[in-house]
Amino acid sequence: MGEMEQLRKEAESLKDEITAARKAVQDLTLQDHVAGTAVVGRVQLKTRKTLRGHLSKIYAVHWGDSKLCVSASQDGKLIVWDSYTTNKVHAIPLKSSWVMTCSYAPSGNMVACGGLDNMCSIYNLKGKDGNVKVMRELAAHTGYLSCCRFLNDNEIITSSGDCTCVLWDIETGSQKTVFAGHLGDCMSLGVAPDFNTFISGACDFTAKLWDIRDGQCRQTFGGHESDINAIGFFPNGNAVITGSDDASCKLYDLRSDQELITYQDSGIMCGVTSLAPSLSGRLILAGYDDFNCNIWDSLKAERVGVLSGHDNRVSCIGVTPDGMACCTGSWDSFLKIWN
Amino acid sequence: MDELDETQLKNHVDSLKQQLQYNRDKTSVSLPELTKWIEEKMNEDPFLNPDILKDNPWVESSKCVII
Repeated sequence: MGEMEQLRKEAESLKDEITAARKAVQDLTLQDHVAGTAVVGRVQLKTRKTLRGHLSKIYAVHWGDSKLCVSASQDGKLIVWDSYTTNKVHAIPLKSSWVMTCSYAPSGNMVACGGLDNMCSIYNLKGKDGNVKVMRELAAHTGYLSCCRFLNDNEIITSSGDCTCVLWDIETGSQKTVFAGHLGDCMSLGVAPDFNTFISGACDFTAKLWDIRDGQCRQTFGGHESDINAIGFFPNGNAVITGSDDASCKLYDLRSDQELITYQDSGIMCGVTSLAPSLSGRLILAGYDDFNCNIWDSLKAERVGVLSGHDNRVSCIGVTPDGMACCTGSWDSFLKIWN
Repeated sequence: MDELDETQLKNHVDSLKQQLQYNRDKTSVSLPELTKWIEEKMNEDPFLNPDILKDNPWVESSKCVII
């Protein structure tokens, strides 16, 4: 009993020391630094394409390159779309329809998905006979699969409702590294542009930065007052953006290890489901439970635009690698391409 | 933290010790570099620079022709 109490006291004391260390390097705030910068002008993006075909709620979308994207719906299908023509390149039936996430490998050779089956299923798009088949089923998580992201054709990172993230070897189907430390369901993950680290957002209201190779948690960011549903790296890899059920998004600076700013508005009272930065990071597009997507000026923390057009919750959003368009996916079963 | 057993609590404390060691830059150094990066990239950002979207792959560039 005494040992546990001792450890708890030590944890609290270390947290206080981290808070003090952060304060000690805060000799400039973002607000002060950009006080002389003007807010960007109103951003008006139009729907250019509507991707129709799913029969139920869309839970995830991920761009493969700047033309092809994959979406996952609880109608039990993964669809790979040519967003320019709206054609379906592949319509992949899933064993389990309770899918919560999907990912496109950077090579374009594979897609992955998972959900309430607790597994991450890998599909080979470039099989010899042209049929798309399950290549591997990565099973070991004891909770739902909330997110997955490929590092390359042989490695994928998953986040789970079992509070862990895992780095898998796809060839052998084995867990290379387990990233444990979150105290709540892991809801989302993002891989750094240099592929050396990744970030996870969880229901313990924190975001963690992990070293992919040594498995250690390098940094933990708090401040949110509810579950973090969405997380992403800033395009330069030096900052992290989170979106939460507390109706706000936050920007954290990795180098000074602290929260920089919060994106919130008294008129927004519903949770953030998804987010994506624009190419320069000056804009942050965030999807909300109230069917809209708000566009924020990331430096001035003001809303500069809105994407409205969906008839239900915006569950997922992604910006193309070349920054030319963004795709929103919704519970209304449609995906929309905007620019 | 109350749900953790002794091993998990020990790991939690060890992780906090490691995280405390992180080499933090001053915000007076990191913020100007962050904003400089953004401002330089804004010219190439299609959502901020309308010239880039003049060639928009999602918009038909020619009208439909009935043959």
